Amino acid sequence: MKKNLRQMLASAGGIALVLALWQAVATGPMAGGPLPPVSLVLAQLAGLLAGGTFWAALAETLLIALAGLAAAAAAGVVLGVLIGSFEPFRYATAAVLEFLKPIPPIVILPLVVLVLGPTTQMSWFLVFFGCVLPIIMQTVAGVHDADPVTLDTARSYGLGRVEILGRVTLPSAMPFIGTAMRVAAPAALVITVVAGLLGGGPGLGLSIYQAQAGGDYPTLYAYVVVLGVLGLAFQGASRLAEGRLLHWHASYREVLNP
Amino acid sequence: MNRKLTNWILGAGTPVVVVALWWVASENSTNTFFPPLNAILERFQALWLFEHFGSDVLLSLRNLVIGYALASVIGVGLGFVTALVPVIRWGLDPLIHFLRGIPPVALVPIFISLIGFGIEMRLASITLAAVFPTLIATVDGIRGVDSTLKDVSQVYRLTRTEKLAQVYLPAAGPQIASGMQVSLQVAFIVMIASEMLGSSQGIGAMTLLAQQSFMTADMWAGILLLGVIGFGANLVFEAIKNNVLAWYVGSKRLARS
Repeated sequence: MKKNLRQMLASAGGIALVLALWQAVATGPMAGGPLPPVSLVLAQLAGLLAGGTFWAALAETLLIALAGLAAAAAAGVVLGVLIGSFEPFRYATAAVLEFLKPIPPIVILPLVVLVLGPTTQMSWFLVFFGCVLPIIMQTVAGVHDADPVTLDTARSYGLGRVEILGRVTLPSAMPFIGTAMRVAAPAALVITVVAGLLGGGPGLGLSIYQAQAGGDYPTLYAYVVVLGVLGLAFQGASRLAEGRLLHWHASYREVLNP
Repeated sequence: MNRKLTNWILGAGTPVVVVALWWVASENSTNTFFPPLNAILERFQALWLFEHFGSDVLLSLRNLVIGYALASVIGVGLGFVTALVPVIRWGLDPLIHFLRGIPPVALVPIFISLIGFGIEMRLASITLAAVFPTLIATVDGIRGVDSTLKDVSQVYRLTRTEKLAQVYLPAAGPQIASGMQVSLQVAFIVMIASEMLGSSQGIGAMTLLAQQSFMTADMWAGILLLGVIGFGANLVFEAIKNNVLAWYVGSKRLARS
């Protein structure tokens, strides 16, 4: 209890110290410069939260990120099951997937912007492209990881291919897919912001770009603060959802008697 | 045996087939968005191997390497301090987690506003953005060191330096390495983003400039080069990681068999 109190004090102290330092630097040696004081940023943040344009941009960002993520999840799981279930498929796609995996969506951003223009579809496609590969690869790994004894048992009970897929393969691949989704959800938000910032797609990324280009630094900082909170919310929500949805799986069950 | 051979041929053959298909399908392409592959490769050779190699390719790579190296050193060092000194951990924890939530690319406009469009801005953005994955992985890795290991090193009366170098670092090594791999990705992304946002030098800037002036073959050449760099950087990292962590890779393979 006492330790907890000290911990909270230290945390609060750390935040207070950084904010105080920022305020001191912004009003002291760098006054009038590009670094706005905390007070101004917070005031600007309050102003944003009261206005309608901010909420519209936020809604657009969330919509693009979630729609891209959903499409990537659907396509990724279907493709992953296909690739994972047939060995020739797996060998044929391995080299191509391994090559594409470490390439972030920002690399193809110029091409996508050229073809689709600075639109919602452009942002959506980048999110889809960035999230689908890890989901495919994790699903393949998960399908491949299914217990051979369970598979053989199911086969000797006379279960059909579809039934085995639904009752054995997919459930055992779920933790892999869950991990992929937990990583992909915050990534979807990041890609949406990148698409707005560099490609002019709608949403908070574009708002940041406009604030920077217009030299409106308090607004710029306020948006970045919003994105930090939003990023944390995405990370927390995806972790919570993973735990909730997969609580039945052996690797997620809580140990009762450690 | 026969099946193995078929699989090997499939694995090696598909990329060849894909590239060949691209070549044939785009050969007489008049579509502005998708120029012929040989035109792209010609521009690739002309741009990146000769004209802009020194001015742009080397510049981008140098920023990436320096920024990433700085981020790794800071991340691991700060991670050790944060994990081992409770007061610092409590003080920094909320801050680290908040900064981690910010999309790394969103930090670039802030650095532009603070220090302009120069190389310093690009280096600072790459470094700061790439610190967090390594830092967080290091903290988690050290916090997760087996308590038996800690007790044993206590019993053997290891000095502080011995403990750090011979117990904590190897025990947290695999986790630190996976954090550093994520950092490398982030560094690469921020390298491109920092060049695309208003700079006129670097591979990212050249690629975006080519797109804006509708020089599609040049843009494709830039995309190809960036793709190859992203893939190559990851490959180099994996090779070094498998070398340094050979004991870990070996023990995992043993455990599996």
